[in-house]
Amino acid sequence: MRMRNALAATLSVLAITAGLGLNSAAAEELKIWTLSFDNESANVAWQKIIKEFETANPDITISLENRSVDEHKAALRVAAQSSQGPDIFFMWAGLGLGGEFVNAGLSQPLDKYYDAYGWDKRLVGTAGSFSKIYEGGRHGVPYTFHGEGIYYNKALFEKAGITQLPATYDELKANAAKLKEAGIPAMTFGGTVNWHLMRLMDVILEAKCGAEKHDALMAMKVDWSTDACATASFQELNDWSQNYILSPFMGIDNSQSFNLFLAGRAAMMLEGDWLVSQLRNENRLADFDLFPFPTGTDRLYGFAEYLYVSSKSGKADAAAKFLDYMLSDTVQQDNLGAFGSISINSNVKYEKIDPLDQKWMDIFGKYTKIYMNGDQAFPLDVTTEYFRVINEVASGNIKPDAAGKAMQSFIANR
Amino acid sequence: MSKARLSLRPSTQGYVLLAPALIVYLLFAVYPMIDVIRMSFSAWNGLSPKAKFVGVANYRAILTQDPVFWGALWNTLIWTATAVIVPNLIAFGVALALNQNIPGRSSLRIIFYLPVIIASIAVATIWKWMYDPFFGLFNGLLTSWGLTGLIMDWLGDKRIALWSVFVAHVWQSVGFSMVLFLAGLQSVSTTLIEAARIDGAGRWGVFRYVMLPALVPTITVVFVLSLINSLKAFDIVYGMTGGGPAQSTQMLAMWAYTQSMQLGVFGRGAAVSVVLLMITLVVVIPYMRWMFKREDMGR
Repeated sequence: MRMRNALAATLSVLAITAGLGLNSAAAEELKIWTLSFDNESANVAWQKIIKEFETANPDITISLENRSVDEHKAALRVAAQSSQGPDIFFMWAGLGLGGEFVNAGLSQPLDKYYDAYGWDKRLVGTAGSFSKIYEGGRHGVPYTFHGEGIYYNKALFEKAGITQLPATYDELKANAAKLKEAGIPAMTFGGTVNWHLMRLMDVILEAKCGAEKHDALMAMKVDWSTDACATASFQELNDWSQNYILSPFMGIDNSQSFNLFLAGRAAMMLEGDWLVSQLRNENRLADFDLFPFPTGTDRLYGFAEYLYVSSKSGKADAAAKFLDYMLSDTVQQDNLGAFGSISINSNVKYEKIDPLDQKWMDIFGKYTKIYMNGDQAFPLDVTTEYFRVINEVASGNIKPDAAGKAMQSFIANR
Repeated sequence: MSKARLSLRPSTQGYVLLAPALIVYLLFAVYPMIDVIRMSFSAWNGLSPKAKFVGVANYRAILTQDPVFWGALWNTLIWTATAVIVPNLIAFGVALALNQNIPGRSSLRIIFYLPVIIASIAVATIWKWMYDPFFGLFNGLLTSWGLTGLIMDWLGDKRIALWSVFVAHVWQSVGFSMVLFLAGLQSVSTTLIEAARIDGAGRWGVFRYVMLPALVPTITVVFVLSLINSLKAFDIVYGMTGGGPAQSTQMLAMWAYTQSMQLGVFGRGAAVSVVLLMITLVVVIPYMRWMFKREDMGR
């Protein structure tokens, strides 16, 4: 009898151990590839969210891989032909960057998960709407939704005698001239990362061409070489770079540009809502304020970042479970401000927020339409030429009318 | 008791010993090279499952439509031409100096060689900071010396950006050539030098008629290695400017990478690579022929 009991006990232990082993073997590992974010709060929040998710879902483990922007894009391209790529990957929304991966069939439609989890009920409408722009179903879920505007140094504006914020593009130029007269460079950019200076060209195009023409230019449906507003925009870019941008700027990057802005070397910076978090980290929120770039259209400059589920992933259910967790009211509320000023979850409550965050809330509330950054609207090869032409114009190496011709020539030869 | 003996013919033994290296070489050097040539006649975005044959369209595109290719080619050629001369002349001078019996010779040799062992990307970071227009060492020194008129945007001005990178390359590469020259100098027969001196040769005569002829093989090796490495220039330029501003420091190797890995135009990237390969072969084949000829003469 004792022998039988001992045998039973041993078998039970073996069964439990085997069971644990089975559980362990059955545990799914989700691979997530995303960026190494400049905003350290976002990197910290990712680690925290993953840890909490794994605790709540012991059957799923997550490995997170972070890369810089260019390395991330290259890694995804390499992984496209392999089964060793990510289950969930970060990519911007829009037909340019995100669209390339979606159109190549590397993202799987998430319609059934949108229905099953009821994501639309909790997503901010504008943020979620990007998932519907692709053919063949809804792709990705919003990770962040960003607006970009002009941050300004309050003391420098006061020093230059600027008492009223600009409501039009011409008023902005007038303010830039006042700053110049006071010996203050109006704006700072970092030229080594091409997309930083590109922002200025994007907003000028919106101001000079209007929403419809701007969209047509980005969709390459209008001739850049003959359209007067394109040439006028390049002319404006050249004017800004020669007169109002803190120089030299082609040899510095966006981080150095931010440091110069913090140091009061320039009065304005065209940045996204994430800068609030960076200013908070520097304990400098009180020194700055912001306003949307005045373009005269009813659209806000901005973009969305998305998390897509790879079509190569055999763990779509687990991936959707994690995405559901990311989008949940609790996670979004707990990590409010870590990824950007505004959450993509409409149920999040904004209490005791900083004035700059409140400013962004007001701006997001005011605008219902957005226009996207050039590098997310154009295909990659055109983006590269767009960068080159912008840099040449800003450096004064090519004339504004030649810039339009260069763009159109490249587009025509594709 | 008889011992088992491996009774292979010498030629068979040679092939057996060569086989592992040959397999690795074929797999990781020859096959990718052939595949790049094949790819240069295809259109592939790196995402779709299959590439499409397009004939010479990629070559036509890079030669006639690409606004960056010719600039990158010119940069590569001018970089190569100066990279085989400037750092090697400095290295030769340093080697001659450090071949003398001077105090601290060993330490100086280490100091000159140190940059060689630093990863190119680290060299790029160091120099990038020194070139920073606002907080960098160079503009800081110029300001403190009152030479503010000489302050420049070292990496942001397309007229000087490539040469700013080149200075960093010189700093990094001098040590390598110096070591080769030192080895060459130390292999020059002291008997010949002493005989020349007895015959009345001065310092210049010894250098010109004894040392220099003895150094020809070393000079050739240094020249060819510099040439090949310069044609492949990538990492230090990538780390310092990424090809900017406005693609003005773009090089062929980097443009091939950018086209393929960042823009996803693998066919055009491969075509740029093939052009670079052809240029390299034009240089390397005469060198190989010279090497084999020398070896044959030595037998």
